[in-house]
Amino acid sequence: MLIGLLLAAFAGMMVALQTIFNNRTDVHMGSWATTTWVLFMGFVASLACSLIFEGSRTFNLQQMQPWYWFSGLIGVGVVICLVLGIKILGPTFSVSVTLTAQLGFALLFDSLGWLGLEKVAFDWKQLAGVVVIVAGIYVFKFGGKKKSAEAVQSASAAN
Amino acid sequence: MFRGIVFAFLGGACITLQGVANSRISHDIGTWQAATVTQLTGFIMALMIYLFVRDGDLGGFRKVKPLYLAGGAFGSVIIFSEVTAIQTIGVTFTISALLIAQLLVTFLIDRFGWFGTTKSKMGAPQFIGLAMMIGGVLIMKL
Repeated sequence: MLIGLLLAAFAGMMVALQTIFNNRTDVHMGSWATTTWVLFMGFVASLACSLIFEGSRTFNLQQMQPWYWFSGLIGVGVVICLVLGIKILGPTFSVSVTLTAQLGFALLFDSLGWLGLEKVAFDWKQLAGVVVIVAGIYVFKFGGKKKSAEAVQSASAAN
Repeated sequence: MFRGIVFAFLGGACITLQGVANSRISHDIGTWQAATVTQLTGFIMALMIYLFVRDGDLGGFRKVKPLYLAGGAFGSVIIFSEVTAIQTIGVTFTISALLIAQLLVTFLIDRFGWFGTTKSKMGAPQFIGLAMMIGGVLIMKL
């Protein structure tokens, strides 16, 4: 349990850093050039890790199902949705809605056990927990923070 | 307004879907391989869109600090950690812990103005919000 939580928190920390770095890149390159660059870097780094940790098994892809090749497109859909959402709603509201959907769908995926996930029986405690977290997000986001800080947090390219 | 909510909502749904899909693919071909394949196809698609819309300048990278350009490489460890977390503790716990850490680190970076962000004052609402989010995870664990 603890190791899972720590890994998830580590991922969150890296997402925060990456979002800020991407924004710095976005200023000079625009959002699609940035997305292209970020995904290229991610691909190169993952390939390097795969070669280091998996060796020749890196190219052992018999288990690949055709749709796996297209899963990378989800990330591109994410960028389009986030950019448009922020353009229409502004960062505060848009990011809050996005975070709410992330948590809501997490609960849904666990409960339904889609895509070969281990099904986690739906539990009211989980729903209550998610509702409290979402309320926390809205307090955090709408609680009188300066605009400048929020612009940095928006427009995540890789996520 | 409504359109904006739909986009923001779909974006969030896709972020979670991405984690779950990566976890599924990792199960079959390995986690690093899954990160490699999904980012390769994402890269190709993004490049095609960029060549079509030409909204910016790929050559502009010369003006960006190397540290910031390297941020994309984080994608590999982000996917690896997220997938391993999903496989150990499930999607809800993973996304909850991930978001709390993400908001907390963003909060600290803004608070101290690191990486050239505009220093901004954070007040009680941000502390209360974070406390509520951590409380939410504890409720799930009860």
